[in-house]
Amino acid sequence: MIEVEGLSKRYVDKEAVANVSFFVPEGEVLGFLGPNGAGKTTTMRMITGYLEPTAGQVRVAGIDVARDPLAARAAIGYLPENVALYPEMRVEEYLRFRAAVEGVPRAEVKARIAEVSERCMVADVGRQLCGTLSKGYRQRVGLAGALIHRPKVLILDEPTIGLDPRQIVKIRELLRELGRDHTVILSTHILPEVEQVCRRVLIIDRGSIVADGTPEQLRAGLTGSSELTVEIEAPGDGVATALAALPGAAEVQQEGDGRYRVVVEAGVDLRRQVFQLAVARGWVLLGLAQSTPSLEDVFLRLTTRDVAAEEAAQVEEVGRA
Amino acid sequence: MRKTLALVRRELVAYFSSPLAYVILTAFLFFNGYVFWLIVAFLNDPRSQAMAPLKLFFGGTIFFWLFLLFMVPVITMRLLAEERRSGTLEVLLTSPVSEGQVVFGKFLAALLFYLFLWVPTLVYVLILATHSAIDPGPVAAGYLGILLLGILFAAVGLLTSALAKNQIVAAVFAFAVLVVLFSVGLLEQLVSTPWLKGALGYMNLWDHMDDFARGLVDTRHVVYQLSVAGLSLFLATKALEASKGR
Repeated sequence: MIEVEGLSKRYVDKEAVANVSFFVPEGEVLGFLGPNGAGKTTTMRMITGYLEPTAGQVRVAGIDVARDPLAARAAIGYLPENVALYPEMRVEEYLRFRAAVEGVPRAEVKARIAEVSERCMVADVGRQLCGTLSKGYRQRVGLAGALIHRPKVLILDEPTIGLDPRQIVKIRELLRELGRDHTVILSTHILPEVEQVCRRVLIIDRGSIVADGTPEQLRAGLTGSSELTVEIEAPGDGVATALAALPGAAEVQQEGDGRYRVVVEAGVDLRRQVFQLAVARGWVLLGLAQSTPSLEDVFLRLTTRDVAAEEAAQVEEVGRA
Repeated sequence: MRKTLALVRRELVAYFSSPLAYVILTAFLFFNGYVFWLIVAFLNDPRSQAMAPLKLFFGGTIFFWLFLLFMVPVITMRLLAEERRSGTLEVLLTSPVSEGQVVFGKFLAALLFYLFLWVPTLVYVLILATHSAIDPGPVAAGYLGILLLGILFAAVGLLTSALAKNQIVAAVFAFAVLVVLFSVGLLEQLVSTPWLKGALGYMNLWDHMDDFARGLVDTRHVVYQLSVAGLSLFLATKALEASKGR
């Protein structure tokens, strides 16, 4: 549905997006994750055709965005990062304007406005001026406007930013529902949101894709392993060796009196074997805990620069000065 | 077409829901009323030469030009600069309307508002008509001249609004360009090189308006004003397209 090939955006002093390629099949909800300034908004703007890429191409629903921008724009519903409405228009007027501009057939306009107003929960502010709306309503009116022409593709730039927790929950529900009949790309830097809403995650940092997969794959696959913390009361000291001999155990460290940390290979669950081992040897199993890294760990590991090294370099520079 | 009309409608809603529109309307009427009164008082003086009062009204006084040069940039300054500043331009340019449609819709809205300002001046024509015979030809030509000046000035104003990031800058910029366009024709008096004198004379807006007010519709004037307007609109469209490279 969305094909991005070798997309780059260079500015005079920096490369905002560098050679990004990905494919989003129909009906997928893709989460675009990255720290501020990583190039999320720039990439999304290039997909919508609002920014021209320096290199590379984008096809949306089979339409080349650069070659036939109007047809591509008709296939896309876009919610920019800072939802801007015309303050002097009433919500209904605004939606009618969007319907006309997006090319909704005249006879259907009324029904469509009712449909998106209900879906985005803005029917109760139809007569209100856009300039007087709260941030949460503005966001939802913007979303209603983006949905009015029933686009195949939705591009949403930080749809939940600046909302209160209850509104966030509501918007996420709506996003999940939209994911059923739309192809969606949404950007965020809120990690739980990605886990709840998206089936696939792209992590972008400094203009490049650093990870691509389902939230589970990212958690397991990227770190490659999970960890077991085992507490065993045993008379002798053969425990570490016995644990290390289990198939799938990559590394065993003794952490204290009877506490062992076992690094387990990806996709292996060793808890049963550990229990059976203890039973067979007559050891007392006091504790057994498995921990997989959270998406947050993955995200931080992938996007955090080597802070220690940077600091060291700085100190050195200061010292020289 | 429907999309362009939707843009025009939105722009007109914006005009009439801002206080600026009513300030301009009031100032315009006050000012024109004053000029009209001056003209009538002047012509009532037995020592003045016999002249058609409406001829003076249509561009015969510096007041007309001062007000037009100042007012049209204020009408057009918001059109694109404000959309860019507030971010609504992003929504507009990612919906299936072309840059040309956006520019043309906004231009049309500004022109309609400008023409709306002139509608009450028809009252002056009626007042004069009840007191003496008026020649309808020069009056119609005078209004045609006003329409053409509106097209030219609004197009230039829209171009500067497409280039500027903020509406005040757009207004000042438009004012500067319009003053140059207006005064370049006046330089005709100062040069003696024949070809340059001819060229400057061709661009003399004051003379153009004077001809229209006398009932003379010279196609050269029409072509000059429409082509400068067309060029401005074309450049405004290109400026919008180029802003995607940023």
